[in-house]
Amino acid sequence: MPEVQADSEGAVSTLNLKQSCGQLMTDLLQALGSGILVGLVYSLLGLCIVIVYKASEAFNFAVGEFMVTGSFLFYIFFFDLQFPFLIALPLGLAAAAAAGAVIETLTIRPLIGRSPIAMTIITLGLAFFIRACLQLIFGSHSYSFFLELPDISIDAGELLFLSDPLWAGIMALLTFFIVMFFLFRTKWGLAIRATSENQAKAMAFGINAKMILLVVWAASSACIAVAGIMISNFGALSTMSSIVGLRAIPVVLIGGMDSIGGALAGGIIVGICESLVGTYIEPLGFTGFKEVAPYILLLIVVLIRPYGLFGTVRIERV
Amino acid sequence: MLAVENLRVVYHDVISVLNGISISLEKGELLVIIGANGAGKTTLLRTVAGMIDFYDGEIIEGDITLDGLSIKGVDTVGIMKHHGLTYVMEDRPVFWYLTIDENLRAAAFSGRGRNVKADMEKAYQYFPPLRGLAKKKAGYASGGEQQMLAIAMALMTQPGILLLDEPSLGLAPLITEGLFAIIKRLNESGISVMLVEQNASAALEIGSRGYVMELGRIVLEGKASELAANKDVREFYLGSGEKARRSYRDAKRYKRRKRWL
Repeated sequence: MPEVQADSEGAVSTLNLKQSCGQLMTDLLQALGSGILVGLVYSLLGLCIVIVYKASEAFNFAVGEFMVTGSFLFYIFFFDLQFPFLIALPLGLAAAAAAGAVIETLTIRPLIGRSPIAMTIITLGLAFFIRACLQLIFGSHSYSFFLELPDISIDAGELLFLSDPLWAGIMALLTFFIVMFFLFRTKWGLAIRATSENQAKAMAFGINAKMILLVVWAASSACIAVAGIMISNFGALSTMSSIVGLRAIPVVLIGGMDSIGGALAGGIIVGICESLVGTYIEPLGFTGFKEVAPYILLLIVVLIRPYGLFGTVRIERV
Repeated sequence: MLAVENLRVVYHDVISVLNGISISLEKGELLVIIGANGAGKTTLLRTVAGMIDFYDGEIIEGDITLDGLSIKGVDTVGIMKHHGLTYVMEDRPVFWYLTIDENLRAAAFSGRGRNVKADMEKAYQYFPPLRGLAKKKAGYASGGEQQMLAIAMALMTQPGILLLDEPSLGLAPLITEGLFAIIKRLNESGISVMLVEQNASAALEIGSRGYVMELGRIVLEGKASELAANKDVREFYLGSGEKARRSYRDAKRYKRRKRWL
């Protein structure tokens, strides 16, 4: 009975189709979820660049090196001195903030009132300088880095999210919202936003622009350290980890250089882009394409919207 | 109370803008400084307010004293906090991307332990139109509203001396008139005002005393009413010289100008 056979074959193939559909969905959700978690860490890096850019109009190219510095400072407190995590973290972040403040005082402050391009180029030099210093102090080998945070991995059927990326996402998001709260709900945040707009005006109304820049650089350095610690927790820490800092560039350019919401969106977009490319395109034989994909996306976005997706629409008075 | 003595200021080490200028501001006075573009009026205010470093300028001679104390070299925030001197920059120095409300709060940043709410209420009383705009971004306010906001922000710093740099810039005559009336009221409430203006007639009308600046020097000084009646001021700044004979005297005009210097 050929007809019946055909029928049963049809049923089987429908079942297969359903199964593979389910598999596809799971893959997609898994990729999206992982992308968002990593993306949140990128968002935090992006935020740090955005607040520095808004306050001093300089693009901090040394973000990767700030990240490694912060991670090593935490490493000293947690692994070398064996402080408990809840004490080592604030100490490490405070040390990172102090490092940021010192760097700002030595390199950025003398340039206040000068061209922002000069500051940006200083940060390029800083990147090499800090990397060399770190290599001198810590050497080029990898340090194993494992935080032993409580296991919160989610294992829902086919989906599996590991504990480390989840923690990274949570910590990044938390830090992000603390910074937002500080910026938009406190007196100091208001002063920072005012100074971001115009240093001369802020000074004329009694806001010490130098002090504000110091605070912004210190805060940004501490937040970059949070991102650094979380990224180091995925594997190991070495002076070469600073490469990850480059990811912040597509994040802020896609989101918009001066937009805080843009940094959040940009980070998630870059994270998802990386993860989708890793799941679907790399298996086709394009190994390493994951690393370039965000930059290709960046090119496309910047061609269409030069200010980035969420860059401020300048107030024009007509 | 405020005295500038023989002040010389140079930008970028080469451009000499103030060439030995001396002025004084008495307590409770409304002092008017008029002068053409490039006379150095803005530079004078920047220097007094301690902002000249920011613009890469340098005081190479002279002194600025407030109640006998030298404030040369003190930064803007220090001058504001300890000497109660607030400088309202030209071209409506408000923060465009903050709301009117946030602008006022930002200006109150330097004052610790003050009642910000009460100060804001006072500022809104002087400038009632701002009250309705409290939640609006300052960049979208009109020019007149922005200038009101700038002065309201200065009030938030509780100034004893107010330096106003061309508040009438780009405003319609009627708006300017209203604004100057408020400046006069502020002065009557006890704030000493130093008003730099291009709009000489409006400024001399409310001022008590005035200076005329040219090329970084004071060329004329006197009571506001005297200045307003002065022939040279009338011709060069008020634009109401004897027009009929103007063409004949054009040649001499340059000569007379030169005599001032």
